[in-house]
Amino acid sequence: MTSLRNLCAAIAATLLLCLGGGAFAQTDPVEQRAQQSLTNWYRLVLELVRHTPTYSPPVASRAFAYIGVSGYEAVASGRDDMQTLAGQLNGLEPLAARDAGQIYDEAVVLDAALATAAQDFFANTGPTGQRAMVAMAKSQLASVAAGVDPGIAARSQAYGQQIALHIIAWSKADGGAVIENMGFPFEYPLVEGDGHWKPTSLIRQQQKPLLPNWGNNRTFAMPAGAACELPEPVAYSEDPTSDYYKQAVEVFEVKANLTDEQKKIARFWSDDPMLSPTPPGHWISIALQILQRDGADTQTSVDVMARLGISVADAFIANWKTKYQYDTLRPISYIRKVMDPKWDALLITPPFPEFPSGHSTQSGAAADVLTSIWGADFAFEDATHADDGIAPRPYPSFWAAAEEAALSRLYGGIHFRPAIALGLDQGRCVGAYVVALKTVVK
Amino acid sequence: MMIRSAFRPLLAAVFCGLVPAATFAQPTVAVPKFVEETASSGVASTYTGEWEFIVGGGVATFDCNADGRSDMLLAGGASPATFYVNQSPTGGALKFANQTSGLEIDKVAGAYPLDIDSDGITDLVLLRVGENLVMRGLGNCQFAAANADWGFDGGDAWSTAFAATFEAGAAWPTLAVGNYINRAEESFPWGSCTDNWLHRPNADGTGFAAALPLKPSHCALSMLFTDWNNSGTPSLRVSNDREYYKGGAEQLWNIAPGAEPVLYTDKEGWARLRIWGMGIGTSDLNADGYPEYFLTSMADNKLQSLAAVTPDAPVKPGFADIAFAKGVTAHRPYTGGELKPSTGWHAQFDDVNNDGLADLFVAKGNVWAMPDFAMKDPNNLLLQNLEGIFEEAGDLAGVASMQTSRGAALADFNLDGLLDLVVVNRGSPAQLWRNTGMDRPAHWLGFRVTQPGVNRDAIGAWVEVRVGQSLIRHEIFAGGGHASGQSGPVHFGLGESTTAEVRVIWPDKSSSAWQPVQADGFYDIARDQPIKAWLPN
Repeated sequence: MTSLRNLCAAIAATLLLCLGGGAFAQTDPVEQRAQQSLTNWYRLVLELVRHTPTYSPPVASRAFAYIGVSGYEAVASGRDDMQTLAGQLNGLEPLAARDAGQIYDEAVVLDAALATAAQDFFANTGPTGQRAMVAMAKSQLASVAAGVDPGIAARSQAYGQQIALHIIAWSKADGGAVIENMGFPFEYPLVEGDGHWKPTSLIRQQQKPLLPNWGNNRTFAMPAGAACELPEPVAYSEDPTSDYYKQAVEVFEVKANLTDEQKKIARFWSDDPMLSPTPPGHWISIALQILQRDGADTQTSVDVMARLGISVADAFIANWKTKYQYDTLRPISYIRKVMDPKWDALLITPPFPEFPSGHSTQSGAAADVLTSIWGADFAFEDATHADDGIAPRPYPSFWAAAEEAALSRLYGGIHFRPAIALGLDQGRCVGAYVVALKTVVK
Repeated sequence: MMIRSAFRPLLAAVFCGLVPAATFAQPTVAVPKFVEETASSGVASTYTGEWEFIVGGGVATFDCNADGRSDMLLAGGASPATFYVNQSPTGGALKFANQTSGLEIDKVAGAYPLDIDSDGITDLVLLRVGENLVMRGLGNCQFAAANADWGFDGGDAWSTAFAATFEAGAAWPTLAVGNYINRAEESFPWGSCTDNWLHRPNADGTGFAAALPLKPSHCALSMLFTDWNNSGTPSLRVSNDREYYKGGAEQLWNIAPGAEPVLYTDKEGWARLRIWGMGIGTSDLNADGYPEYFLTSMADNKLQSLAAVTPDAPVKPGFADIAFAKGVTAHRPYTGGELKPSTGWHAQFDDVNNDGLADLFVAKGNVWAMPDFAMKDPNNLLLQNLEGIFEEAGDLAGVASMQTSRGAALADFNLDGLLDLVVVNRGSPAQLWRNTGMDRPAHWLGFRVTQPGVNRDAIGAWVEVRVGQSLIRHEIFAGGGHASGQSGPVHFGLGESTTAEVRVIWPDKSSSAWQPVQADGFYDIARDQPIKAWLPN
């Protein structure tokens, strides 16, 4: 590291000693500009996820991971107390170092990295999203570079872009870069047999299941998609004494006796694509709210966003690997066939196999990572859907939220209970790999 | 004013021999041959503009010089709208002449004809990015803005949808205007849907009262007053674009005369549906007295039918999606080689092959450089067969345009008993096709329907044609589609039948008597008057 960086680090340490971490974040102008950039770009990314038709939950999780790593590396490249993720994440080669002896503006570097990454991962969004990204890039750059020497600003912007382009190049070969037909294969032979997935939607596209090969994608922190395998789900049976039948009876009875609170929970975590930031975006939103609430510093922010993004991305790969390994039927298919042909679930049944619950796996992984950063009894309020008129919900811990998210799928009638419980277990397994990453040097 | 048809061929009766099978039953769907005559027609109009004109692009067809022919106004977006007077010879090539009309106004996204002041001359409502305008018809295809005279506040919004009705006892229509997002929002436009407006008549019967905001509003792209429950009081269906709303859904407003508008709720049976709602087409496909609704969207389209009608019980606004079963999902291109999902806009049911069955035209086109959706997205012409299933024939019929289409109208421009087609494209010239008929000619009827006093065009009436035991129903309404409205003869196909009976169920639910008519002619049906034939020339 350069002497300049050491000097900056020393100044920062002095400020921290004088003011404390929170005060540092609120008073340091570079920190303020960097935080503003991070917050605004993530706000926009959450909207773009909602409004880009290819962004199903797995695709969204992938973008969160790469954008998170872009932001992290942009910041880590300028600090001695952060460790690069190159060499820790599968296939990520070392990134270019900064020019020795040159001054960089940390806020401009971060802004350029996030802007470049966002505009690449959402290159396929619609005209309004494109317009918004152009407007955001323009206004953000003007804001973060205000008062910065033009030469330093230009150098910083170029370096931030370079970081993002490295990450983007790395992303291209992971198996998830090209999404056709909104993720629904044009051809896909459905597995025959009573217990196997059947289409549940009247939408033509969804007569094939979503992203059947997603489980084969390159993972980020965990070794491979099969690193968190689960035991076989309950064997299919129409025998009323069977465990399979009993789990269907539970879904049926839960639906018949839903309380208003259970309905609220189901809808709060419904997180439908195109109508919300999706399940991974819900957790990104939670983290963003906490970072803003607590005035977190940039170092913490990019660490949280990188590890959270990686955790949900790996969770969806692991989950999809298991889904297509077992290819199981949704409750609505079974209940209509065996119990009540007119039965309907509270929520829209997603167009892919049932076991395990994707929301459960990714919520478990997210809770594991956030707990490792902020602690086991970290209370927060989740206002992700406030703009949609859905009231915020308080949680005493991340795991309390994850368990509620998982249970919401039972209330919603789209999962059997074992898919929920084992989904959370799978999430813990994924989360452990992400927690093991070395990021901020304590 | 737009017109839709419904035909119930009583299939069981046909197959049992109660009705001569030859009357309607044909072994295959007859495909009409459309010939594009854009270049020779004299129409040269392009819907232009940037982001503010990604939606809209409508066309209004109406007769403004009392020659029986449908003239047209094409929205121009950033360019001025263009008016054309219809000079097509009967049964001949389509011929239009650009004529100064007072409608040469810019920022027009959509247009709907309606006799607002009930003077017997068609007026126009212009939906604009900016102030909406009501244009009073002066006769001989001349128009003048009447906002001030009629107390109509055109506001300043991105207006994208329109519907009109005449509420019971009112001397003026009630106009519903649907608005889109706040166009000043750049980085975070999502969730900025602006209020839709309900312009009701003022108390003294001289025009309009202050507009009533329809809260909540969810970025409407199509609206339709429709008597979905056959109650005699139309409700307002609103199709909304989920791209921009937050907490929104499709809407059905209960708009009772003299009462505040109230949304139907899930407790009443109105199920939440969230789509990229872009256009509404309607027809009573099974002639049961309850209209079906086709809702255009992206990658999927809906065809809704009342889910359950129980005799002697109030009808609930619960609808089943029968698009898949009826073959009208129209979810991706059927020709041209692209497999990416489609983007649907204007939808219109009408009988293009005169077999007595409503067919469905859907205008298609990418929003604007959306790479995950088809760029070459052919328009659909879905022909209904005797089993009630729709079969794609856009390419065979010659209307599978790959332009970026938006609004459209099926209308008999040359008065030969065959519905022709005009389509507005974004960024390329509007197109016209002449329907030259089928290999096996079929018979038809055309009716102009009027009533004295208020609501001269009988908005809200149903025209019914009976052939043997079969019934075809057309609703007369103003609204729906995508930014496009029509006023003109009600068209019926009769198949091989040369005679039929016709009656009108007027907006007040009273019915005229059944009257016999000969096929292949145009008739005027004036309320309480004998039916009169009229000749195009």
